[in-house]
Amino acid sequence: MKNLNIYILLFSGLIVLGSCEDNISVELEKADPVVVIDAWINNKPEAQTIKVLRTIPYFQNTFLPGLNEATVLVEDLTDDVTYNFEKVDEDGAYIWEPTGEQPTFGKIGNSYKLVVQLGNATYESFADMNRVPEIDSISFRFEEGNDFFPDSYFGGVYARDFAGPGDTYWIKAWKNGKYLNQPGEINISYDAGGSPGATVDGIIFIQPIRDGINPFEQDEDDNFLPPYEPGDSVYVEIHSLNYDSYVFLYEVAVQTDRPGGFAELFAQPLANVSTNITLTAETPEATKAIGFFTVSAVSAAGKRLDPNNLPPNDK
Amino acid sequence: MTSATLPEEEISYTISGYIRDKTSGEVLIGSTVYVTNLNTGAQANVYGFYSLTLPAGKYTLEYRYLGFVTHKMEIDLSSNEQINIELTPDDLQLEEIVIRSTALDKNVTSTEMSTVELDIKTIRKVPAFLGEVDVINSIQLLPGVSTVGEGASGFNVRGGSVGQNLVLLDEAPVYNSSHLLGFFSVFNPDAVKDVKLYKGGVPARYGGRIASILDIRMKDGNSKKFGVQGGIGTIFSRLAVEGPTFKDKGSFILAGRRSYIDVLARPFTDVLSDGAQLNFYDLTFKTNYKFNQRNTVFLSGYLGRDKFLFDANQGFSWGNKTATLRWNHLFTDRLFSNFTAFFSDYDYSLAFGENELDGFEWKSRIRTNNFKPEFTYYINASNELTFGGEIIYYKFNPANAFGISAGEKVDISLEKRYGLESAVFIGNDTRFSDMFSLQYGLRLSNFQYLGPGNVYEWTETEPGKRKQLASVTTAEKYESIADYTRLEPRAALKIQTGPKTSIKASYNRMSQYIHLISNTTASNPLDVWKPSTNNVEPQIGDQYALGIFKNIGANNDYELSVEGYYRDTKNQIEYIDGSEILINEFLEADLLSGIGKAMGLEFYLKKNVGKLNGWVSYTLGTSELKVDGINNGEWYPTRFDQRHNFKIVGYYELGERWILSANFTYLSGTPTTFPTDRYTQQEYLIPYNAYESRNNLRIPDFHRLDISATLNGKKYKKNGELRKNQDYLTFGFYNVYARRNPFSIYFSQGTERPVMGEPIDTFATRVSIVGTIIPAISYNFNF
Repeated sequence: MKNLNIYILLFSGLIVLGSCEDNISVELEKADPVVVIDAWINNKPEAQTIKVLRTIPYFQNTFLPGLNEATVLVEDLTDDVTYNFEKVDEDGAYIWEPTGEQPTFGKIGNSYKLVVQLGNATYESFADMNRVPEIDSISFRFEEGNDFFPDSYFGGVYARDFAGPGDTYWIKAWKNGKYLNQPGEINISYDAGGSPGATVDGIIFIQPIRDGINPFEQDEDDNFLPPYEPGDSVYVEIHSLNYDSYVFLYEVAVQTDRPGGFAELFAQPLANVSTNITLTAETPEATKAIGFFTVSAVSAAGKRLDPNNLPPNDK
Repeated sequence: MTSATLPEEEISYTISGYIRDKTSGEVLIGSTVYVTNLNTGAQANVYGFYSLTLPAGKYTLEYRYLGFVTHKMEIDLSSNEQINIELTPDDLQLEEIVIRSTALDKNVTSTEMSTVELDIKTIRKVPAFLGEVDVINSIQLLPGVSTVGEGASGFNVRGGSVGQNLVLLDEAPVYNSSHLLGFFSVFNPDAVKDVKLYKGGVPARYGGRIASILDIRMKDGNSKKFGVQGGIGTIFSRLAVEGPTFKDKGSFILAGRRSYIDVLARPFTDVLSDGAQLNFYDLTFKTNYKFNQRNTVFLSGYLGRDKFLFDANQGFSWGNKTATLRWNHLFTDRLFSNFTAFFSDYDYSLAFGENELDGFEWKSRIRTNNFKPEFTYYINASNELTFGGEIIYYKFNPANAFGISAGEKVDISLEKRYGLESAVFIGNDTRFSDMFSLQYGLRLSNFQYLGPGNVYEWTETEPGKRKQLASVTTAEKYESIADYTRLEPRAALKIQTGPKTSIKASYNRMSQYIHLISNTTASNPLDVWKPSTNNVEPQIGDQYALGIFKNIGANNDYELSVEGYYRDTKNQIEYIDGSEILINEFLEADLLSGIGKAMGLEFYLKKNVGKLNGWVSYTLGTSELKVDGINNGEWYPTRFDQRHNFKIVGYYELGERWILSANFTYLSGTPTTFPTDRYTQQEYLIPYNAYESRNNLRIPDFHRLDISATLNGKKYKKNGELRKNQDYLTFGFYNVYARRNPFSIYFSQGTERPVMGEPIDTFATRVSIVGTIIPAISYNFNF
């Protein structure tokens, strides 16, 4: 099964009303920059990075400038340990390196506090490192094509949500080592389902989540390409989230995944996504900060597509 | 001359009856009977019934209806009289004796204001999208009515939202009035007789929505002879059959439409195999039976559906069903009653999953049952008393849904919700003198949010953020969870300052107990209706309007009106940023409440006579909301706030057989929110509005010209007899100069996959739903 947006696009094409799109130039309001904190850290055995940056005008096609005068640390509130993040280059990145005694960051179940000091301002944020399920398996299946979609192999990732409500996950995928980084590929799950309002719990991830590891790309003639072909590899990581960071990613997907065309009839208006970074009570008047702090536990698995090695019914 | 000046002891008698079209037997809604020597009169109600009580004496009566030859008669009134009149359409008169009917001055003389009536004849003359005559597309050409863009469902009236309009088809509410998203309305023009939109000055007998009432009346069916009419168009075809039944005691009409894009496309693609469907259809039926002069029963129904099915098990479909049973009963010649029982149902269904092991299905439904008794007591020539009641039982089923994952089925249905809305009303139309008349009334309405179900209470966090669940309790079946009673006063005053000029003022308060939940750019078929609850209070709207009405020319050649309105609303629903409104048991945690105001000035100039007919409409308006948690708590324009709304419609009779028509629309760009800045999180580029403002800028203006030409088939045979079969061919062009009118502008990082290690490009993209000229041709016939 492909995702619903694809269907909407296909059938929009059938409604031959001459719907069209073009890029235009638009004059935007100017505003003073604000501080951006990009603090998504995890327990993978590697260096962890927190970036302190500032906003730039929407159409300015550069990296965000770094703010290099900050001090950045994360406190483990459960075990009373402090992790210092050190400036390495002048790009706004602050890094914690693993050591022999501390090969990974943090512990599942513990609570963390981010503290960023910048000039007269102190920013803080809180997050828990929640549990993450192991990946049971990754499999491929073959589906015959139609006029709009070629014969294709689709990948699926199988994992079972923990019993008990409120587990949130971000399922990130890499095809042939390349991260699937488009907004439409943001694949998040609340328990095993797609949203908190629909109460599923403790089951295997539902199909749209499992299938969220497939890229849907088009060639120059707007023909869809098969998501995977024999010999391709897929690597998947599940990152545990907090409820707040789950909502944040949901909002990011709504605001950034814009298929356009008829789908605009169903689109939500532009709005700012949330942030969990706050100014401390001592410095309420300083420049505000936006962005997110979250601490994830990660499970991972990978697979290469071998057509001779598919489940019996899917060859 | 009024009753106030008549001697009390004089004996009065009542003239009553029905006014009908001679050719079809259809009643003429709003036709008038005018007593020339008393300078007074009466208007036929929606069932064509009129009643006029006058002192004994000699009178000249004139029965009038626009487009019909006026019928004059002398009467010596000395007893109660039943006079049923049949009027002849003026276009059927033989050339030699053509008397153009005088345009009526109802717009000036009646107390009603802020209403517009369109008969189906006028609707048919307006150039139509893809050549298909459409009720809702036509009313959008009137002052005070707008839409956020092509393809959007519904319409906006005087700065109100789509969900604030009550759309009635033979008294039954229609919850989604759109086919093919929003390109066509669900009303089949072959079955529609009369359309009346109340934008303000709403009489007490209507209630339940705060912006407008669109009252659509179906034809009763030709009671004189059998007829077939239909059309073959670009998108769909229509066929209607009507005729007398039960030995002329009744009549019926059955009308259907079906689109056929899928039938035409099937040879070219295999996508439409495996049970795939892409179409819509509707069926409209009505029949009536006249037991006698005092009793008539009507039964009408509608069934329609849009289907976007990818295969037999997957896809998206929606549709309405309504059924109305009515009984007109005359207690006396002066007491008319109507009892209506109806049922209305809207549902949609969304399903995907290609096999039994994995899938998802979601059905949503709102169903209503209603009973409505209404009485009109014609006290005398100067007072018409209307009273009655209404009781509506709602059943909301926001999600009957399940997902199957790897063979495990999980029910994700939401609880059903119930509501009971009831109202009693009384209103009087009174004429103090030729100069002053007043329509006043009172509606007392009540809503009960009923169990069974979980009852939630929420703790307010920060304004604009998701609320926290404070407690859950359980309500029993029929237990009243929340109870609201509202008093809704209504009044309209007319002061006639000259024979062809009047000034009118009106006030109405309306309450709305059910809410259309929609946080998308445009309203669409997935929007869900929600009752007022212990957390969501009923919407209240107060509207004040003042207008001047003037007719110009000996035969009322031109109608001119200028109206100003101010509307004040409470408990308007808004949404937190990032709200989830579909299949969310905790939806209420994402809802915000605020106040609104809308005001405007409407100009309308209509030409009624001559070969060139048409109108010009202009509205200057604003519509704003103020909600704690949005736009820093300041006022902001609604998505459908349009400063200028200008339309011109013209049709020209060229010779015997051609009608050329054109319409031009100009609308100010709708407000939208643009970003100021960008930032990144984990390499995703996110738009940011540093001022946290809502609808801070506008998309470019919308303007469009449509033209069409109608060629009528020959009316007469060579020997001069009227042909039995009438047909016409319509050619049209929509969006003649192919303007790419923007529906929206969105901001994104483009469709290319970002390259890691490089900054991301951003774009502003303009979407035009109809970005080109669209030709259309349709052939229509009746015999």
